[in-house]
Amino acid sequence: MLTITKEEVEHIAKLARIRLSEDEKEKMTSELGAILAYVSKLNEIDTTGVEPTAQVTGLENVFRKDTPEGRIEADLIKGHLKVKAVFGE
Amino acid sequence: MMNVETLTIKKVQDLLKTKQALPEELTREYLKRAHELNPKLNAYLSIFDDAPGGLPCAIKDVIMVKNKKCTAGSKILENYVASYDATVVKKIKESGASIMGKANCDEFAMGTTGENSAFGPTLNPLDHTRVAGGSSSGSVAAVAGGMALFALGSETGGSARLPASWTGIVGLKPTYGRISRHGLLPMASSLDQVAPITKTVEDAAIVMNMIAGHDPYDSTSAFEPVPDYTKALTDNIKGLRVGVPKEFFTKDLDGRIADSVKKAISQLEKLGAIISEVSLPLTDYALATYYIIVPAEVSANLARLDGIRYGYSADGKNLLEVYEKSRSEGFGKEVQRRIMIGTYTLSAGYYDAYYKKAQQVRSLICRDFDRVFADHDVIVGPTAPCMAPKLGEFKDPLQFYLADVYTVQANLAGLCAISVPCGFGTIDGVKLPIGLQIIGNKFKEETILNAADTYERNH
Repeated sequence: MLTITKEEVEHIAKLARIRLSEDEKEKMTSELGAILAYVSKLNEIDTTGVEPTAQVTGLENVFRKDTPEGRIEADLIKGHLKVKAVFGE
Repeated sequence: MMNVETLTIKKVQDLLKTKQALPEELTREYLKRAHELNPKLNAYLSIFDDAPGGLPCAIKDVIMVKNKKCTAGSKILENYVASYDATVVKKIKESGASIMGKANCDEFAMGTTGENSAFGPTLNPLDHTRVAGGSSSGSVAAVAGGMALFALGSETGGSARLPASWTGIVGLKPTYGRISRHGLLPMASSLDQVAPITKTVEDAAIVMNMIAGHDPYDSTSAFEPVPDYTKALTDNIKGLRVGVPKEFFTKDLDGRIADSVKKAISQLEKLGAIISEVSLPLTDYALATYYIIVPAEVSANLARLDGIRYGYSADGKNLLEVYEKSRSEGFGKEVQRRIMIGTYTLSAGYYDAYYKKAQQVRSLICRDFDRVFADHDVIVGPTAPCMAPKLGEFKDPLQFYLADVYTVQANLAGLCAISVPCGFGTIDGVKLPIGLQIIGNKFKEETILNAADTYERNH
């Protein structure tokens, strides 16, 4: 049965920008292992040549004009939105 | 003094029309009751004492109401205030609804019992030792407990039908694209829909009349014409072709639910429906498909919650630390698990094995439904494999997931489906409600509403 290692959990946590304590890493490793083992049963199904379905509406390329309508009010400071600094020193 | 417990939208509309009740009076009664019951049930995360006169309604806290907090049941959005009304909120306000407050839910709508809310679980109004069910936990408890006349919940894999069945009311999952998602916080965008939660099927039809239709702000909303859903309720199902999937009646189904649902199916037959057994062979695999696709979309959708753009922001020495601390402290365990699974299945080397595979199986599931709907009008079975569990009864993540076993297929295939009460089962001397699920093809809401309404009126 397919399983996931603690090292892989650490790597995934880094990619997902989630910080886990040592205890949480252990717990996550066993929980994700159980979930991945469960979903792996899809391998029993032959999907050769089956097109994947990403959405079910059948709608394609719905466009509208990209004109601002001022529907959403934001607290602007001198025309700018204030967020936390994102550039380090 | 009106008895709010037995009121429906239909009755209230009649009372208002004949001036036997005033909108302000209605709002006042429901607010009073909400304040009385909420400290115990925890259905509302916020109650609006300044609500205007109108049809009292609860809104799941993943749907935006302008200038009101929208927490998604999460610490990361604890103080987030919505800057606009969701399209559905705008529409129900225009239809005379008055928003009583924002309803509790599993964090970002991820859960089947309501216990994943960062603000505590919602109790079942029928048995306070049990959960109301999730993820639209507060919405169903508000309606079942008479703290709102109706509610707008949301559905990704059963989040309205499942808790509606556990609280003895009606939950409708509309066809994907039938209702605008603009202003609904996204969980899994290819599956999410806003879902009416009501006391009766007729009320669900009335709410559909308020909210269905295309919206230029949701490019996935459908252009299909919107009928008057209340006109579809003819109290006649003679000749209705009903398919009963044999895969819905296995040993995993509680015997009391099986009995109750089979009795309901016999009743449909007595009312003139033509019953036949059908097969949905991928039922067992649908849940696995769902729990690959949903976490993948979740991991992408929730990437925006980074401690910078909005919501909770932790202090950190550098940007990476701000991201990591904000997300670890802000998200609860189930959300973190799903982000982790999604990140894993979408990562290099695993995409084909998981996400693409799941999307291929999704195609096969759609084909199975096409095959059944070629000569059937509706598919009927149980809504849930068990009745409302006790608080803390479910332990490991997979146990929670399995409660969705009969509901996720309608979401994966984009179909419409409804849960309507069909009886009770007794556990420890307490009578707990059971739901009958009726699934229809895309844009066949009129068919399932009529089937459910006819059953509701004649059993």
